Amino acid sequence: MKRIIIAITLLTLVTGLKAQQTDTTKKAGRKMSSTDSLLNAMSPEDKHQDVIGAFKATRLILSQTTTTVKRNNLNFLVIHRFGDIGTPTGGGHTLIGLDAVSDVYIGFEYGLSDNLNVDFGRNTIGGLIEFGLKYAVLHQKMDDSSPIAITLFGEYGVRPYGSFTSYAARNSYLGQAIISRKFTSALSLQVSPIYVYSNTAIPDLFGNDKGFFALSGAVRYKFTKHMSLVVDYEHPFSSYRMDHKFPDPLGVGIEVETGGHVFTLNITNSRAVSEINSLSNTQSDYARGQFRLGFTISRMFDFNHHEQWKTSN
Amino acid sequence: MKHILLILLAWLTVHQAGQETYVCKNVKVNLFSSAPIEDIEANSTNGVSVYNAGTGELEFSISIRSFHFPKALMEEHFNENYIESDKFPKATFKGKIQGHVDLTKDGTYPVTATGDFQVHGVTQIRTITGNLKVSGGVVTMTSEFMVKCADHHIDIPQIVFHHIAESIRIRVSATYTQLKNNNPSK
Repeated sequence: MKRIIIAITLLTLVTGLKAQQTDTTKKAGRKMSSTDSLLNAMSPEDKHQDVIGAFKATRLILSQTTTTVKRNNLNFLVIHRFGDIGTPTGGGHTLIGLDAVSDVYIGFEYGLSDNLNVDFGRNTIGGLIEFGLKYAVLHQKMDDSSPIAITLFGEYGVRPYGSFTSYAARNSYLGQAIISRKFTSALSLQVSPIYVYSNTAIPDLFGNDKGFFALSGAVRYKFTKHMSLVVDYEHPFSSYRMDHKFPDPLGVGIEVETGGHVFTLNITNSRAVSEINSLSNTQSDYARGQFRLGFTISRMFDFNHHEQWKTSN
Repeated sequence: MKHILLILLAWLTVHQAGQETYVCKNVKVNLFSSAPIEDIEANSTNGVSVYNAGTGELEFSISIRSFHFPKALMEEHFNENYIESDKFPKATFKGKIQGHVDLTKDGTYPVTATGDFQVHGVTQIRTITGNLKVSGGVVTMTSEFMVKCADHHIDIPQIVFHHIAESIRIRVSATYTQLKNNNPSK
């Protein structure tokens, strides 16, 4: 008796499901054939795939993003910060600061694998030379089995010029965990806890913290297929810097990507490009007119050849 | 009782699938666009297809994300800017082959299929020609046709670096296996 009941229940379930199926297909205005259902059953699930394009570039205005350079790709970066717009040195005299250069970064990022990058670059401020490693630990998945992406970034910076007590005194270190989420196809957010340590405090003032934590947050909002609004903010948790009213670096910009190139045109109060410098030593303040235009040019070179790909496929 | 249930279930599935159903789980699709700087090409190898030789019904479903390009950026742009694979994850064809093909005889038969071709969420009724080859009981279907980007509301932005042509050439190749009575599912 029990078995019969189970059998009947199963049968009703099956027919019930079938009825539901025809319901939904009727709504779609198309008859569901057995071929359809077989095709649907066979189709591989897409949902476990990585979410792509949370950020178009490896950098926003101030911060690194979770995005990495793909294997055998080389990213060439030129980042500029101009002079103050709103101080007496700005204005028409220097064409809103365009005649003055606060900082220039020229650098390269190379993808050893899709997840591991080596970075190298040089800044005008302090002549700081940087060597970085970036590793994408976790990718955001479409089914939210991983709702976020995590990328780790570590770098070593050295100031080769100027007088220091020893070689070691020239060194700085920065480590951060970048956590991002692409909420919709247009909106991506990221936060990164950062630790910076400089053997000689930047700026080298009595009582300044050599090492401190910082937090950065950034938003990207894509308003056309190729243009986004980006906002980037950093806050150093350093008692010296807070006591001496160092303003937090804040940047707002427009990012344009053209396939291969990514341009960012921005306004920031930070004079420096390098995070080691901008977190340690941003003293310019929007309120005093100390903000500037800046731009980032990122050009991707892909060394994977079409012919090679053809033979391997 | 258990046995009866099993038989019942098997009978149901057989009715659904039938003897004349052919399936392919590794449909190969190649898309190609000549472009001024560099030709753009991508391959997918895990599309699925069902062919019902009895009714002539022929269906394809290809996951957009399964297309791989030689260059990572091309792949990202294809997904993000052209096909918008997060919104429209699949390209499908659901149609019927005109006339009857005798699959018991070896040979190459030119075939014509008419049906709904959907890419980028836009459906077009297309008549697509191809070849059906039977060789020792193995059924292979191949086809080559053009797809106009404009027909599927795929915009070609003017500022991008990797320009694609207005028409994309598609090549499809599928080798089918027959669904057996004693092994109805999968």
